[in-house]
Amino acid sequence: MSTKKKIRSTWLLWPALFMLVAFFLIPTLDILRASVYDPEFTTKHFTKLFSSNVYLDVLWRTIRLSCIVALICAVIAYPISYFIVQRPRKQQIFFLFLVFIPLWMSVLIRSYAWMVVLGREGLINAILIGLGFTDAPVKMLFTTGAVYVAMVQILLPIQIVTCYSAMTEIDLDLMRAARILGAKPWQAIRRVFLPLSLDGTVTGAIIVFMLSMGFFITPALVGGRKDIMMANLIEFQVNQLNWGFAAAISIVLLIGTVLCVIIIKRLSKILTGRLVGGGNA
Amino acid sequence: MTKILRQVAKVAVATLVVVGSANLALADDKEITFSGSGGVVGKVSKEVWFGPFEKATGIKINHVAAEAKRMPQLEAMVKSGNVLWDAMEVSASDYPLGVKKGLYEAVDYSMVDPDNKLPADTREEFGVAYAAYSQVLIVRTDKLPDGKKMESWADFWDVENFPGPRALRGRAEDNLEFALLADGVPADEIYKVLSTEDGLDRAFAKLDEIKPHITTWWTSGAQSVQLLSDGEVYFCPSYNGRITTLVSSGIPAEIVWNGGAMHKSYLAIPKGTKKLKEATEYVKYRTTSADRMREYVTHLPYPGWAPGLFDGMDPKMAAGMPTYPQNQAVQFSASAEFWAENLDAIQERWTEWLLQ
Amino acid sequence: MIERDVEFGASVTFDGVSKTYGAVKALSDFNLSIQPGEFVTLLGPSGSGKTTALNVLAGFVEETKGDVRVNKKSILGLPPERRNIGMVFQNYSLFPHMNVFENVAFPLRLRKMAQAEIKKKVGESLAMVQLAEFGDRMPNELSGGQRQRVAFARAIVFEPSVLLMDEPLGALDLKLREAMQLEIKRYHKQLGCTILFVTHDQGEALALSDRIAVMGEGQIVQIDTPDRIYDEPNSKYVADFIGTTNLLDFERLSPSLVRFSDIGVDFQLTENKENWGQGRNSISLRPEKLHRDISSNDQMITFDVTIEEYLFLGNIIQYSVRTKSGKTLLFQEHRGPSVPILNRGEALKLAFSITDARPLEETTHGIGRA
Repeated sequence: MSTKKKIRSTWLLWPALFMLVAFFLIPTLDILRASVYDPEFTTKHFTKLFSSNVYLDVLWRTIRLSCIVALICAVIAYPISYFIVQRPRKQQIFFLFLVFIPLWMSVLIRSYAWMVVLGREGLINAILIGLGFTDAPVKMLFTTGAVYVAMVQILLPIQIVTCYSAMTEIDLDLMRAARILGAKPWQAIRRVFLPLSLDGTVTGAIIVFMLSMGFFITPALVGGRKDIMMANLIEFQVNQLNWGFAAAISIVLLIGTVLCVIIIKRLSKILTGRLVGGGNA
Repeated sequence: MTKILRQVAKVAVATLVVVGSANLALADDKEITFSGSGGVVGKVSKEVWFGPFEKATGIKINHVAAEAKRMPQLEAMVKSGNVLWDAMEVSASDYPLGVKKGLYEAVDYSMVDPDNKLPADTREEFGVAYAAYSQVLIVRTDKLPDGKKMESWADFWDVENFPGPRALRGRAEDNLEFALLADGVPADEIYKVLSTEDGLDRAFAKLDEIKPHITTWWTSGAQSVQLLSDGEVYFCPSYNGRITTLVSSGIPAEIVWNGGAMHKSYLAIPKGTKKLKEATEYVKYRTTSADRMREYVTHLPYPGWAPGLFDGMDPKMAAGMPTYPQNQAVQFSASAEFWAENLDAIQERWTEWLLQ
Repeated sequence: MIERDVEFGASVTFDGVSKTYGAVKALSDFNLSIQPGEFVTLLGPSGSGKTTALNVLAGFVEETKGDVRVNKKSILGLPPERRNIGMVFQNYSLFPHMNVFENVAFPLRLRKMAQAEIKKKVGESLAMVQLAEFGDRMPNELSGGQRQRVAFARAIVFEPSVLLMDEPLGALDLKLREAMQLEIKRYHKQLGCTILFVTHDQGEALALSDRIAVMGEGQIVQIDTPDRIYDEPNSKYVADFIGTTNLLDFERLSPSLVRFSDIGVDFQLTENKENWGQGRNSISLRPEKLHRDISSNDQMITFDVTIEEYLFLGNIIQYSVRTKSGKTLLFQEHRGPSVPILNRGEALKLAFSITDARPLEETTHGIGRA
């Protein structure tokens, strides 16, 4: 590539780069600055944060919840995406449309809707009692389980879409090739389709994970006493105008998220390696 | 470079706030921007306060309903010198926060209340109390055991005699007070007790008793109403005005005034407004016009202290007001000062306690 | 060279196979018998059913009616993985996440072969396609031709009884395609396997096949050796599809007198009169069968044309000429010192021998079943 061409192509990236710097990098650095300058350099916010059990405990709970939500989403979205990708083109659009519909509703409304469904006098309990399976209402709302149900329902479309788009990249003739070469249907999926779609699935799971890390309305509405998220703590501190401390919690959340993403990536690489590697199926 | 970019970012943020606050760029002198509540409160205010105020003074009110929390937004405005609001509502707990950060103009009482007619505890240096609201226990009367009546926080704690799911608000404020009342602390000693380490332990110990019986810890007033109307919980503290929603949708519910936490809402003037005089004019109108206020409480039971408010008010309606003498007598006055001082520390302990 | 068991090189029989998709008939009463070790090509335009036939044999498509036998045993209802058939796909279909070695080893691993044996077999297969050193490469690091060879090695490494090839050279450029044709011929000779090859390229079919089955509307229109398919097409459809040809209409004035109105000639038949009856009303005349009028005998037909345009094809010149009635024909001749190039607008006489004219059936399919 000539120097001239190089300069021109780099130039095209500038607007994107500018956006990234202006709206992502600088605010992030500003948060970092706010966490250690208040107004002079200080580590008091981090000292306070780490001297209390609350913040790391909540961070751990947030990570655990987000991991489980991402895992459930991946496990449910995978077969759904696989199903959609094998339909004829027109049907694919229809099914994707169905997947997208819930995205048009606000998270708040969907969370309230789950309260109606899962409540003591809600839909499911009414059915259970009506059919005589139970006399007293089953406690479903205000449990961690309810948080999983609601968050998975909210985030599933995102996972399906990511999964689906990764799957459309896969030449379906590869599956035929695997079959005629001697693979049973499940062997073809495990040895060819799964390794090829794993990357996209993991990408989707990471997006879901990161979005979950920032959730707070849904857990607060449908969750139990212990379903407190890092974002709840940040929101509280911001409302108290404790910007520095809020920034410190945000930084801890950010680092926790980044570390988790790195670990997830590593794990998926190892998994892909094992799926591809030798050994009889 | 960074400096310039930060300036750019600040301008960008300010622009976003402007866009969010709608058509005020070309505001003329006879208009002020008021940051108030949305929903029913906003609708009623427009009718009862903004219209008549304009008629009386010629000052138009551009109402901006607060979507997000106001305080972070206010601080951003004051710090960047781009103050877009001329007057605003401030909750009791937010008031000291803004005072500490220097976000309000001092109130000119020679203009608002020259004859000193407002009660002394509503006249703060940087704000005037314009409405009272209470967090009170709301009871589903149809879920009570036959012949029994829930009358106090001690009853709320009594799960033997009053079985059934309950909820509390997911914050420390008010709950610690309720716990101490349930534990037998007299209303006028609550904050004295809470200010000691032992007293705080005592409140949390009392909360330990009720913790397993709390179905959920609500985060918004709307949610508390939903919980009661869905039958998700039978007993739950909420804001006194919320009872209207329940009763009007045919749900048998009633307020237990005894042990209620009475809060004040303030009107304040953001520091640096260019419409100080007009804004003060509105503060005066909103806090001292008894006839307007009487009209307002027919819609929403959040009365203020305008002199002569209860004169000629329907006694049945008066009985639903938190400031009605009989109601006020059995409630305690929530201390904004105490919480401004202690919230950070207590909130941390509260969260830890919730997670246990 | 790969040692092969007896089964490598099986007979294949399609017995009245039909496949319908709703109202569309992809295959209708398709019959084909392939001898062990034979190289048969299914040739036809898209939609003629050739790929469906291949997919029925592979087990990807279930036939609506009929039977398919390999070595006289029905394979009806067997899933693809139990048919022991090798297949080379149009886009190679190499597994992009496996290196060359693992791609070729794939069918062997599924057959739970011992590691040492896998190594030996894969090595032999890759050696055969001259890619012995490429085991560690990933498919995206290979050229088109190399990918094609890997696909071939993978298809034959487990010694399938039949090898299917679905337009395997379609994605290659012309030069590579011709080189690969020679390669495939060599593999076929070495392995002695039965090959069913699908293509829409008549040149490829003529070059490779023992027999060509020309397909149309889900049936075989004509099946024969390449030379006979070329020289003796049985229908307009085949004549038109194979090579370039001129179609001349004729009319039978009496049992022995035919009229070619396109060139304004009436001709008295002396032999093979029966070929000119039964609904036939046109002849195929290959461009190279037309000559400048030099000598004439009683089997030659002569007519006047004008040169319209010419194409220079190297050692061959192809003219398009116009007859008096206005029909455009193609005429080819080899270049030589004694054969001057004709100019546009030049008038001359052309001639062909009646024995080079092949009367054609009007119908496009349903004739000459194997």
